[in-house]
Amino acid sequence: MIDYIIRLMPSMLSGLQTTLEIFAITLIVSIPLGILVAIGRQSKIKPLVAVLQVYIWVMRGTPLLLQIVFIFFGLPIIGITFDRYPAALIAFILNYAAYFGEIFRGGIESIDKGQYDAAKVLGFTPAKTFKRIILPQMIKIVLPSIANEVITLVKDTALVYVVGLGELLRAGKIASNRDASLTPLVMVGVLYLVLTALLTVVFQKLEEKYAYYQ
Amino acid sequence: MSRNLKRNLIVALILVLGILSLVGCSNNNEEAKQEDSFEKLKEQGYITMGVDDTFAPMGFRDEKGEIVGFDIDLANEVSKRIGLDIKIQQIDWTMKETELNSGNIDVIWNGYSITDERKEKVAFSQPYLENRQVIVTLADTDINAKQDLAGKKVAAQNQSSAVEAMETEPELVAAFDGGEPVLFDTNNEAFMDLEAKRVDAVVADEVLAKYYIKQRGAERFKILEEDFGEEEYGIGFRKQDVKLLEAIDKALDDMKADGTYDEICQKWFAE
Repeated sequence: MIDYIIRLMPSMLSGLQTTLEIFAITLIVSIPLGILVAIGRQSKIKPLVAVLQVYIWVMRGTPLLLQIVFIFFGLPIIGITFDRYPAALIAFILNYAAYFGEIFRGGIESIDKGQYDAAKVLGFTPAKTFKRIILPQMIKIVLPSIANEVITLVKDTALVYVVGLGELLRAGKIASNRDASLTPLVMVGVLYLVLTALLTVVFQKLEEKYAYYQ
Repeated sequence: MSRNLKRNLIVALILVLGILSLVGCSNNNEEAKQEDSFEKLKEQGYITMGVDDTFAPMGFRDEKGEIVGFDIDLANEVSKRIGLDIKIQQIDWTMKETELNSGNIDVIWNGYSITDERKEKVAFSQPYLENRQVIVTLADTDINAKQDLAGKKVAAQNQSSAVEAMETEPELVAAFDGGEPVLFDTNNEAFMDLEAKRVDAVVADEVLAKYYIKQRGAERFKILEEDFGEEEYGIGFRKQDVKLLEAIDKALDDMKADGTYDEICQKWFAE
């Protein structure tokens, strides 16, 4: 049994690598993009707000799997062709930026309007107000919701199988088919759990760091 | 409804319509794809072969992560004879024809059964392996003939030719428990469900069923004598890719004639 697990490890780890890559890149790009979406939703430019509303509606209103299929198989029809990897990444980033955008918007809106007035009186520019006053408080408020999304993202990465990318779950399924055994799938489950445990600890530390008023 | 909200909704609607019409007008690109791509493939020096890398023993990954299997050996031999390298691309089996027609892969070659429905979507090479759609049950059931499947739960792989084979007998399918087969993403899942006794039978390619049964212990299963028909594996091409199809057909002919084909068969299917 132990032998078998050790023999499975290399293919699992290579699957895990793809999973982690998709996870990390999606996170790194979609969080800043989400902040921009949230700021854009507060904008006074009405068409921009309308566009963002449609964007969020589409991204939250259709399955992520469908979005990946659409970007990889659908866009080439109108002459936009991406490789498998970028197509999957774009779908993930657009989808997650929409969710993060809504979380950040909730965070921004929960901050008392009086703080904007106070900042103005003190001579802060709007940009500086956002960066120095709103953003730090917002991060504190949204951390638990972000942690939720991030953990969902770990598991959502499994969807890239649809464009033929081999990630962790796929590696498990391949081994499971080859050896007619459930062990590889159990291993996959354990690896996901380890990832989630690590993330949970990271977010706990972050929450502690931002809990400066308690 | 406030005026602002109304205006926003109108703007949004216009945007959606705009995107839809963009998609709608774009079909004129497709004509470019109707050409035979053989010259282009020769220039790039390789063809891309679409494989479901979970499909043992036809094409699957060994423990080192390398794709191996009967189809892979066959393809490598063909590659030498037609002077084009073969690049293997793993695909999701339910998307195979879409992958082919959008040009992401050039051939579907992975235990791909020749069926009438598929013939409408792709062009097939000559058949290169015979196969049956067999009915597998656990060894200790009272299912001994096809008619015994009435009132039972029957599983198969989604989008596989097993499903199509069953549909040729609609009355029998309607008599299944649930009125239709239970569909799984992979055959392996169908067999696991059989072992868990949630389904009573699995319909699958004989080649694949035998592989699975061998892995799990042949004494625990039985394959019924009756089946859902014989069929053959072929290689799927885009309909316009006549030259590539002919080149590969010729290579297969030569391999059958000089014994290379039999060697590869021996390697994978020796009893």
